[in-house]
Amino acid sequence: MPKSLYIDPNEVLRPGEHQIKFPEIPVMQYAKTVKEELKDGHFTPEDLKRIYRDMFVIREFETMLNLVKTTGGYNGVAYSNPGPAHLSAGQEAAAVGMAYNLDTDDFIFGSHRSHGEILAKGLRSIEILPEAELRKLMEEFWGGATLAVAGKDYKGGSTKELGIRFLLYGAMAEIFARTTGFNKGLGGSMHTFFTPFGIYPNNAIVGGSGSIAVGAALFKKVNRKKGIVVANLGDGAMARGPVLEGMTFASMDQFKTLWEGDMKGGLPILISVMDNQYAMGGQTRGETMGYMYPARLGAGFNPEAWHAERVDGYNPLAVIDAFRRKKALLEKKEGPALIDVVTYRYSGHSPSDQSSYRTKEEMDAWQAEDCILGYGRKLVEAGVAAQEELDAIQASVKDVMFEMYKLAIDETLSPRMDLVKDNELLGEMMFSNMSVDTLGEATPEVNHPMAENPRVKQIAGKTRFYLDKDGKPVSSMKMYNFRDGVFEAIVDRFYKDSTLVAYGEENREWGGAFAVYRGLTEALPYHRLFNSPIAEAAIIGTAIGYAMCGGRVIPEIMYCDFLGCCGDEIFNQLPKWQAMSGNILKMPVVVRVSVGSKYGAQHSQDWTSLCTHIPGLKVVFPVTPYDAKGLMNSALQGTDPVIFFESQRLYGVGEQFHEGGVPEGYYEIPLGEPDIKREGKDVTFLTIGATLYRALKAADELKEKYGLEAEVIDARTLVPFNYEKLIASVKKTGRIIIAGDASARGSYLNDLAASITEMCFDYLDAAPVVLGSRNWITPSHELEDAFFPQPSWFLDAIHEKMMPLPGYVPVSNQTCAQQILRAKKGI
Amino acid sequence: MANVVIMPKQGQSVESCIISEFKVKVGDTVKAGDILFGYETDKATFEEASQLDGTVLAIFWAEGDEIPVLQNVMVIGQPGESFEEFRPKALSETSGHPRPDKSEGSAAEGSGRGRSEAETVSEGVHFTAVENAGAPVSPRARMLAEQKGVNTAQVAGSGPGGRIIARDVEAAALAQGQLTGLAKARMAEGGVVSPGAGSGLAGAVKGADLKVWKPNHTEGLAGEGSEFQVVKMSNMRKLIAKSMYNSLQNSAQLTHMLGADARKVMALRKKAKKAFEEGRLDVNVTINDFVCYAVIRALGQFPNVNSHCLGDAMRLFKCVNLGLAVDTERGLMVPAVEHADKMDIVSLSRSLKKVADDCKKGSINPDLLSPEAASFTVSNLGGFEVEWFTPIINLPQSGILGVGTIVPRPKMVDGAYQYVPYMALSFTYDHRAIDGGEATRFLKKVAEEIENLEIDL
Repeated sequence: MPKSLYIDPNEVLRPGEHQIKFPEIPVMQYAKTVKEELKDGHFTPEDLKRIYRDMFVIREFETMLNLVKTTGGYNGVAYSNPGPAHLSAGQEAAAVGMAYNLDTDDFIFGSHRSHGEILAKGLRSIEILPEAELRKLMEEFWGGATLAVAGKDYKGGSTKELGIRFLLYGAMAEIFARTTGFNKGLGGSMHTFFTPFGIYPNNAIVGGSGSIAVGAALFKKVNRKKGIVVANLGDGAMARGPVLEGMTFASMDQFKTLWEGDMKGGLPILISVMDNQYAMGGQTRGETMGYMYPARLGAGFNPEAWHAERVDGYNPLAVIDAFRRKKALLEKKEGPALIDVVTYRYSGHSPSDQSSYRTKEEMDAWQAEDCILGYGRKLVEAGVAAQEELDAIQASVKDVMFEMYKLAIDETLSPRMDLVKDNELLGEMMFSNMSVDTLGEATPEVNHPMAENPRVKQIAGKTRFYLDKDGKPVSSMKMYNFRDGVFEAIVDRFYKDSTLVAYGEENREWGGAFAVYRGLTEALPYHRLFNSPIAEAAIIGTAIGYAMCGGRVIPEIMYCDFLGCCGDEIFNQLPKWQAMSGNILKMPVVVRVSVGSKYGAQHSQDWTSLCTHIPGLKVVFPVTPYDAKGLMNSALQGTDPVIFFESQRLYGVGEQFHEGGVPEGYYEIPLGEPDIKREGKDVTFLTIGATLYRALKAADELKEKYGLEAEVIDARTLVPFNYEKLIASVKKTGRIIIAGDASARGSYLNDLAASITEMCFDYLDAAPVVLGSRNWITPSHELEDAFFPQPSWFLDAIHEKMMPLPGYVPVSNQTCAQQILRAKKGI
Repeated sequence: MANVVIMPKQGQSVESCIISEFKVKVGDTVKAGDILFGYETDKATFEEASQLDGTVLAIFWAEGDEIPVLQNVMVIGQPGESFEEFRPKALSETSGHPRPDKSEGSAAEGSGRGRSEAETVSEGVHFTAVENAGAPVSPRARMLAEQKGVNTAQVAGSGPGGRIIARDVEAAALAQGQLTGLAKARMAEGGVVSPGAGSGLAGAVKGADLKVWKPNHTEGLAGEGSEFQVVKMSNMRKLIAKSMYNSLQNSAQLTHMLGADARKVMALRKKAKKAFEEGRLDVNVTINDFVCYAVIRALGQFPNVNSHCLGDAMRLFKCVNLGLAVDTERGLMVPAVEHADKMDIVSLSRSLKKVADDCKKGSINPDLLSPEAASFTVSNLGGFEVEWFTPIINLPQSGILGVGTIVPRPKMVDGAYQYVPYMALSFTYDHRAIDGGEATRFLKKVAEEIENLEIDL
């Protein structure tokens, strides 16, 4: 809601034009012959033959995999590949045409059916990379391990030929889960990629690349990196939220209206729809979609209709022509763009798909139009190559393919990870655990020195502890609070790391719905802090793309309850790519998530447990200003995805625990260390989130009325989690209540309880008790006390389950009998 | 720097010793070599001499205390030097610890605010010696009970569902007072109850202070009755009781009895006595020594008898380690003479006399008292005119020979009966190890050896 954009009722209510005019979207307009292309100088005969070769490389690669899956071997050499194989035979012209104009600096993202695209892009990079660079890159990859096998029997002197072997072997070894594969075998068929060739992750979640690729484009733009980004998606993926949200994000007007200087202009993102006619078993045109052609979608997103175009994906030259024109557009900052490439997949969705939804007649008709066959005919007709020459190309491709196949299935040359012997190997790959001040080389772009920032000045006048020098409570206006702690860590990083960007639904002028960012607008140019569309999948998805390209990013999810809107991004994308890449990619994304209360069932849920359940995420939930600043500093210093929860109950609290208040300078609190907020000897309270303050009240009552001293520990971080302090506490007290605002059933609280039971069994005087919220909808604010754990619940639990308190009358029902009854009812 | 004196470890099998007497008191000046205290194991007494000159700064125990070996006993140094750091841990915890009676009283009067730990835990818990076996016990309570020597069967649970929880055990521990190691072990075995305060240092409850416990019968099996007096067993008595009981419970014992013509052995004894009196021998070789000598020779031919029965295996000895039952003031002791088969009659006699004397003095090496130390035992009651008896095997040994008195018995000599002195031999063996035939042959062999002893003196 920038004030510079005046919403003029006169114009809005009485527009000059009374209909929306859509630009025309070209369909199948390419009509050049091979001879004409040669005449125009777009290709040499060698180029044209190489296109043929590249297409055949893909065809043979997919044929090999298909034979392995369906006949258990290739060329008589048996191998079993139980993993997936989503083959793209039939789509070769589309893949090669897509890659033909791309430089190594241009990135491609793909789908589960992207073998063709990675091979095409790889072959293209091998063709254009200087030989020395190519050789160096291969020699350095996995310390030369992949090249050593791929080039084992190669006697020729050509670096490019060696490069082709390297590409085929690396991809096959990856698909067959070998450590010499491009991602150590951890990505597999649906995720194979190789960033040195500009090949970024393919995604097994349909449409997953739709927002991630947009983030990669954002990275290129913000950090002034060369190149464009291509997202290869299927026609079926155009139904997916991440694609539509990613397109929405990429279409934002602000790139052209508000971003300043050289930042003005569209994102360099090109969506390439591989329209192979089928989405699983559904037929997109005529059955499961209504767009008729995927190209039509562009019209819904911006006045340029994404410069959309539908082209003949059975003619590589038509595809090349379209990509050449779109790339030029993007380089002029006139993106985004969309190309809808008509193609057809010969195989089913996967080898188990018997194509029962289509006729043999249809398949035969497309095979008669086969893109390799057809293109070969054109080359012969144009006199570029004789049929014998094309046959020779095929024969030589087959030879190399077979050779690489035999190497890739060799258990000795291409071993798998031994996760039985080395039990922790994959575990150690889940996080990168690096400590890096800045990921950029540039000077961070800011609007003024930090000291001149109005918010920084305001905080300077605040008391950094909740009591003043005389021990009197500081007024809320003068007290340094939780949001100041988060702000200080973030503003500090903005002035250190040029790559850092932050965005969310109200991040700029508003300063975030909870005013954490107030003052950042003054400090930062638009391209480092901006408002995003209300599109959580795009907010997180683009952050993932931004981070995997090398930038640091803080996306914001305004309410924890909205995590579901970006479920795939949080659960399937963010946590996975570091390990799935074999640790090639880093994921420095700090997702700020605000946990609400007062706002009812869809705005008051604590979903920390959902995040702890997903391997690969770090989960942090500070509840004091000191912890907020220290943990945010650590999160931003690291290279791992961190879900950073903040409680809306606590933005205004002052620091009550850290002696001397919140330090002015930079400090880090390591992730994973719980903190003892109050010492005691009779019972331990471990809390997650804002429950800490209610636990402290319970501890007060316990002390006053029953003379029992509770040790109150704030988990602070959920993943990772160091149990040592907790074990020491439980050994001392023998009793523990684990409390948090998440609904009790299935929550992380139970994990902690189970672990403590195992680790401290002989020291326990009672089973650990979990106090979570009820398994209900969160009721309205006035009724919340019955839902969230209250101080009295702690005493109730002690009385009922640990040690009866003399004369105590329970408030809530914390008995096992009631627990059984509720469980029976599912509540 | 002050020097600490520890309880020495006398032999591998000794875990704790009892202080029999302190020869010094705090403030005394001692010189190296001065005796500091006397102490005893179950079967022997020892004295500990000072290693250096100095002043006794502290004594951590009282006479009669049972002290784990290597535990600090006292501190010797220069006046003014600190010694608290040497105080054994269990005792430091005790110091200043409220006595149960005091804390219970104040807890009852407590207002609920600012109470001490001891008061807090005892509140609402009425420790009584109740029968509570089978009640649920929290893991922590179980662990505490073990540490503090609380028998949870005597504790009423105050936790949910009557569960015995930590505070119940703490209260019980407080009520039963500070226990010595021995007392804790006894409590753990069950059947006894602590009186709360005992005769040990700082009121510590010693093993001897424990009362027999019967659920709902908490008062007085110990003490005086109109018709009887209950006297506690000594430690040694209990040890003997335990091992004898174990022996009969855990083996298959029976006794064969046989007389041996003692004329030859009596003649030898006469010769030996004369030689001793005339100074030709420095040791007075007794009839028992000759019998032992004969037994050793017989054992050489019966490896199954010279053995330990281990239940599912036999330990067959290649030498004879001969156990000798010795009656002492404190009770029966059985020291071993190792490698007795390598000795002539004179050195055997000397060795037997030495171990018997050491036992009577209490200076015997405790390792020699272990039942494992001997491969066979001889028990001689001949001197007390007992003729036949059924000795009990010192397990795991496979046999024991009881030697009775010599009585005249008629014997056909040269076609006419005449009275001949006969020695009564009672051989108890473990039927698990040895069958009757072999036992008979062994006993007969012993008799033959005795009857045919040829020794030059």
